[in-house]
Amino acid sequence: MAIETEFAELRPPADITRATAARRKGPSLYLIAIYGILVIAAFIALVPFLYVISTSFKDTISLFQYPPEWIPSEPTLDNFRGLLADYPFVRWMLNSFVVASAVTIVKVVIDSMAGYAFAKMTFPGKDALFLVVLMTLMVPFAATLIPLFIIVRDLNLTNTYAGLILPALASPIGIFMMRQFIETLPTDLENAARLDGCSEFQIFRRVILPLIRPGLVVLGVFTFMTQWTSYLWPLVIGTKTEMFTLTVGVQSLRSLFTVNWGILSAGAVLSMLPLVLVFLFLQRYFIAGSIAGALKE
Amino acid sequence: MGQVDLIQVSKRYGTAEAVSAVNLAIADHEFIVLLGPSGCGKSTLLKMIAGLEDVSDGEIYIDGNLVNYARPADRNVAMVFQNYALYPHMTVFDNIAFPLKMTGVAKSETDQRVRQAAGALGLETLLDRRPEQLSGGQRQRVALGRAIVREPSVFLMDEPLSNLDAQLRVQTREELLRLHARLQRTTIYVTHDQIEAMTMGHRIVVMRGGVVQQVGPPQQVYDEPANTFVAAFLGSPRINLHAGRLDQGGSGATFVANGTAILLPPRLAELARAATTEAALGVRPENIHVLLDPAATDGASNALPATVSLVEPVGSDLYVTATTGDLSWTARAEPRLPVTPGQTIGLRLDLQRAHLFGESGRNLALAG
Repeated sequence: MAIETEFAELRPPADITRATAARRKGPSLYLIAIYGILVIAAFIALVPFLYVISTSFKDTISLFQYPPEWIPSEPTLDNFRGLLADYPFVRWMLNSFVVASAVTIVKVVIDSMAGYAFAKMTFPGKDALFLVVLMTLMVPFAATLIPLFIIVRDLNLTNTYAGLILPALASPIGIFMMRQFIETLPTDLENAARLDGCSEFQIFRRVILPLIRPGLVVLGVFTFMTQWTSYLWPLVIGTKTEMFTLTVGVQSLRSLFTVNWGILSAGAVLSMLPLVLVFLFLQRYFIAGSIAGALKE
Repeated sequence: MGQVDLIQVSKRYGTAEAVSAVNLAIADHEFIVLLGPSGCGKSTLLKMIAGLEDVSDGEIYIDGNLVNYARPADRNVAMVFQNYALYPHMTVFDNIAFPLKMTGVAKSETDQRVRQAAGALGLETLLDRRPEQLSGGQRQRVALGRAIVREPSVFLMDEPLSNLDAQLRVQTREELLRLHARLQRTTIYVTHDQIEAMTMGHRIVVMRGGVVQQVGPPQQVYDEPANTFVAAFLGSPRINLHAGRLDQGGSGATFVANGTAILLPPRLAELARAATTEAALGVRPENIHVLLDPAATDGASNALPATVSLVEPVGSDLYVTATTGDLSWTARAEPRLPVTPGQTIGLRLDLQRAHLFGESGRNLALAG
């Protein structure tokens, strides 16, 4: 056998010439088309909302005018007054707020911790466990609805906040999201903290948590929105009017003999309001969260 | 304080052995460099000393204490990471103070020690900034500050200069040496850069494939490489290394490679006698002299007529690559020597300083 005089590891790395993606110098026509499509899409998305808002300020007569009025000639707050006076709307809103807030807070705490464990810690069965978590993501809610209801009913949790909140905590999407987010953080950061004397929990609390704040906000907003607009489970679990959430409550407005479109619209407008506010205030984080890769350096 | 002993230390990932049976005694105050190409196990070894990787086999002692099962923070070591690993959400002050805070040092003392460390590194004016507002060199110094503020007995450095540009690297290299001279702390430094290793280390440890190839002072490792790998890894341009066979002819021992026969001087001939016929000859570029007149090689047994294939001026030197038959040689020549590709020249090999490698690439001069 000849003596080794060439060493693969000492050879310079193969020339990596990455073709720089040619910047599309498209004609302005291309841009116009893009913006045109976006404007149309935005219009289509906005029209129903605008019509609902418009309807909520109309009286019963102008409701059915043809052609419909976009801006009511005689705007009225009667629908809102009626809604608040005749229905436990405030209670429904409180229920929604309690449920959505509780689920959001608990999920942000649990999911970030579980995400950290899956992303950075090593323990036996980690991959298998994560696979199980992912598998639960693939089971449609409709498939678990009835067994879940039976469990909750047997625990005597129907018409309670616990019954509304607990099942929502088990959703795996947040764990998955947090894991992906935390995985982008360089491992050397934890190692540095480990050498600096941090325990595993201190690493999570003092190093990881402050760095994933944008991700926590995204998860929080998503969870809050999902819970705020959740309909099927609150419908199944709540039979007493005072335990309705907004979605169920607003829907119950039309299940009488007639549909009062004005009051229904007022309910819809009021239930949209908190979501719009949440989104407006946290938009900064929301956008930051979607470019989370920039965290690294 | 600051003595590190590695006894048969190994690391396995499944069946792959990243580090195998490393034995190393590092003296107090020593600056030792772990050198090798990427994937040679040097960083893994460093992380095992730090406690960031478990040891599969063997024992690690720091100051005579077995630390295999000690937490990283309890080993009295501090580490500087390649990408600095500064906490992005903390100011420079908080970054440097963090290890003190975590170990419960009093606030007033923390403040004093952080300012002292920052002063030593010229960071006083940057204490309120965040890492993202610092240049690469400044971040590097903050990382150093976080390490020295703990006053550990051993510094571990994982390619700390590799993210700096060339000029800053030279400057920081000098600063690190000054720091070491001042603090007198044992330093274990990982790099793949032979210049860093040669200039900084009291001793260097050359690794390949998880196995230590050679340990010794830089000049000694350069002058007496243990094997072909070490010879090829250290030195730029690379050593001229040719595999061939040894002939014990009537006129003396010759080394024959691809039809080119080179008569060996007595020192190498002596070594050749004990060797098998398979061998490799290594001649460093500075030990090859370029003769402009190829005729001058006539009669000289260690001179070869050659055709120039490549000329690389680097300012202080001229690297001339020339071929004799199928063998290619690179020589370090005078910077203004008038040679051009295609020209026929003579090469005189200074075989007194050449190396003969035998079976499995071992340097015959060091064998046995």
